[in-house]
Amino acid sequence: MEQLNRDSFRLVGIQEVSDLPSMERPPWYKGKPLPAAGFLLLLILGCLFCEGFIPKDPSYMDLTHFSLPPGKTFWFGTDTMGRDIFSMVWYGGRISLLMGVLAAAISALIAVLYGAVSGMSVWWMDSLLMRLSEILLSIPGFLFIIFIQAALGKATIVSIAAAIGSTGWMTMANVVRTEVRQLKSSEYLLAAQAMGGGFFYLLGKHLLPNLVPSLLFMVIMNLRNAIMAEATLSFMGLGLPLEVITWGSMLSLSGKALLSGGWWMILIPGAFLVSTLFALTSLGNYLRKSMNRKESNL
Amino acid sequence: MRGKVKRKRMVDYGRKSFILLLSIFLLSMLVFYMARLAPGDPLVAYYGDRVEKMSHEERVWAEQKLGLNEPIYIQYGKWLKNALKGDLGISFSYKTDAVKVIHTRMANTLLLGGTGLLLIFGLALLLGVICALKEDKWPDKILCRIGILSSCIPEFWLSLLLILIFSLWLKLLPASGAYSVGREADLGDRLIHLLLPLTAVVTGHLWYYAYLVRNKLLEEVRADYVLLGRAKGLSKRQLLLRHCLPNVLPAYIGIMAISVPHILGGTYIVEAVFSYPGIGTLAYESARVQDYNMLMVLCLLTGVMVIVGNLIAQLINERIDPRIRKEAGRWNS
Repeated sequence: MEQLNRDSFRLVGIQEVSDLPSMERPPWYKGKPLPAAGFLLLLILGCLFCEGFIPKDPSYMDLTHFSLPPGKTFWFGTDTMGRDIFSMVWYGGRISLLMGVLAAAISALIAVLYGAVSGMSVWWMDSLLMRLSEILLSIPGFLFIIFIQAALGKATIVSIAAAIGSTGWMTMANVVRTEVRQLKSSEYLLAAQAMGGGFFYLLGKHLLPNLVPSLLFMVIMNLRNAIMAEATLSFMGLGLPLEVITWGSMLSLSGKALLSGGWWMILIPGAFLVSTLFALTSLGNYLRKSMNRKESNL
Repeated sequence: MRGKVKRKRMVDYGRKSFILLLSIFLLSMLVFYMARLAPGDPLVAYYGDRVEKMSHEERVWAEQKLGLNEPIYIQYGKWLKNALKGDLGISFSYKTDAVKVIHTRMANTLLLGGTGLLLIFGLALLLGVICALKEDKWPDKILCRIGILSSCIPEFWLSLLLILIFSLWLKLLPASGAYSVGREADLGDRLIHLLLPLTAVVTGHLWYYAYLVRNKLLEEVRADYVLLGRAKGLSKRQLLLRHCLPNVLPAYIGIMAISVPHILGGTYIVEAVFSYPGIGTLAYESARVQDYNMLMVLCLLTGVMVIVGNLIAQLINERIDPRIRKEAGRWNS
């Protein structure tokens, strides 16, 4: 029989560890999404205080200088209506961001209430509510928003934010409901109920603090989706009117821009939009990753 | 024993079809009420600007003709009765049966959406497996970066970008429509027209699902049986493909089925940008002229597709994962 010795085996599944773990603490910024956070901060400040540095009135239509490529006087060029794109981008970002925040807040509010009610109620009510949210989920968001917005009447910032917000809560409500179901059987919740705590007391005092970590990521993602939805709606001409400057409504001129070859009207607002969304995603992913993972067995 | 199992399964199918019918019924009621309560005069969609010049009597007559003067629940009852016979009402702006208008465009949307869905399904699986195999090494890192970036690009802007690059600058591919004029039957021509919209649809969604597969696989890889398999001498690839992937598949198919509306919604927007003659462009046009009847039928149609898709996913999952079949006895599962 062939001799078995150490060499005939191969080690699998070991994690090699150096002899001494390094005593140095990693620098505080390690692994934090600093570029994304910095970019967002800059963007928000820039949009809030844009009156201080934009060279032109963003809504002024200069009919002698329309469809100009980026140059010295018009840094990012002008659009087909002769408006200065550099000024518009900052000024429009304000409304785009505001609507995103508003919509995300609305959907978070609905999601927490709906999910908590569903999680705390008896099983048939729970099933019914979850079925209902599934049905709502089955309508494509885009059609749903058009419908709700039509029902709410004239397109204003609040009405469109409400329409977008009321379509984005279903998945989040599901998460809330699952967490509430788990918490429901815990002893402290039972004790609080036994001592006569009402629904809103339980929600605010015991449920919400437990929900926050898992919700934070979803809220950021909702914010991202809301900004995207607003841009899409305005782009299609179904959102805010053309006179209200947002990144989406700037892009709604792109049909004409394509005809006249004005790439800057498409690329520049779009670049602002995409980098904002990217920064938000990085931030959200960081929040999600901060829940640590186990080592791989592979 | 076998007969009992069979009967149980029949009961299960019965319950599922009941839930299916109930869901479709609720959905139809919801969209009908929303369509009727929405502001905007449906008469305008039908008669155009002439409505403003109508006298009161003419208005009443027109409302009666279109059945708009009764309470909503009676209107709904009538509509439901007709709908069961396959008559979903007329489109106010096209002035013909909504079904007829949709019918001609449905095939186009199914072609775009269906191909897109299949491509997303396959490519996401492939990318997810590659990422999981090379976790935290450069292929994974690069794919993750590109993926996150691509998930941040709104579909409409991606479509614009594609038109700008491939139609305007390179002049390689057509920017709109489903076929060139007069070449409706030419398959190659259709394919060329499909290329850009399809790219937009697939890139817009691919990453979300690839990331899902990756994360599920990475979770699975941390199970003890993988360690055992490694100790037995199985290769990484074998383990991942033969043992981990089948465990992940049911969840993936389930989520894929739920996301049909998401992908369809994306298709709609892409269609509208490329003016591709499908359901999406139709929805967009109907929304602009406030043709709520049309929108309602479109909503209903997509909803039904989604609900049926959900059911199919459940059935497929039960086939490939015996664990789900066992739990199916409960109403909540």
